Amino acid sequence: MIVVNCPHCGPRNSSDLRPCGEVTTRPDPATASLSEWRTYLYLRENPAGWVTETWYCRSGCRRYFTIERNTATNETRSSEAS
Amino acid sequence: MPTSIPRGYVRMPDIEFQSPISHGPISTPDGSVSIEDETSTTKVVVRAAAGTAAAADLGVPYGQSRLRADGTLVCGTRPDEWTLFAAAGRAAEVIAPVDTDGFVNAIDITHGRAMMRVSGPKATALLAKVCNIDLADDMTPDGAVFSGSVAKVTCDLLRADRAGEASYLISCERSFGSYLFAALADASTEFGASLPAGLSIH
Ligand SMILES: [Zn+2]
Repeated sequence: MIVVNCPHCGPRNSSDLRPCGEVTTRPDPATASLSEWRTYLYLRENPAGWVTETWYCRSGCRRYFTIERNTATNETRSSEAS
Repeated sequence: MPTSIPRGYVRMPDIEFQSPISHGPISTPDGSVSIEDETSTTKVVVRAAAGTAAAADLGVPYGQSRLRADGTLVCGTRPDEWTLFAAAGRAAEVIAPVDTDGFVNAIDITHGRAMMRVSGPKATALLAKVCNIDLADDMTPDGAVFSGSVAKVTCDLLRADRAGEASYLISCERSFGSYLFAALADASTEFGASLPAGLSIH
């Protein structure tokens, strides 16, 4: 079980939430190359370690939020970005 | 001037109320737990952005509830969202005083949500079998409002103790009501309840 700390609901089983993946920056549609779009849509860093992720609190407050999760240990901590 | 009503449009007050739950209360012989249909309770959802008069009036923070002097129970269901419970048939009176200035809406969801009450000394133990929320007194005390999975159905819950005994009001989408009632009844057999014919999830 992965415990995810929702900023509104507190610690919840990850089955109550939906992982939305790594936070990525959308390129500027006016100037982005095809390669930049492909990178944005499909390529992820996927490190063994801390990653900044978006989660959706599906069963609880129904808000999206950003946290950091260690993919090797599943520890979570609040994100400076959120 | 004649008013035009779109085809298929029905005013909610014109519909005769009908609960999706067709069974009476279930209880154990020793009174340790009982499950009853409370779907007829008036339920009004108010969404109000921070800074609106409606949000200030309601005032109850997310996760808490407060009984208003007029008998309406105000629950902080989600950030910027409240659910108001009142006696059956009072939706219009509950909605009328909501200040709709700004990004605010108040909708009668009485028909749209099933609601049931689980109460008794074993109510917490029963709910813990099918709900992954921490139901300990310090996490979800009397008056706590929370949402989570109950028997795999996404529900809004309120702990509203009665006479010092644990009691939970559980509401879910109407179409899941019949199943959820049966699932809770099934969970209560461990505590000694016997189920009437026709009420089974197996
Ligand atoms: Zn949440």
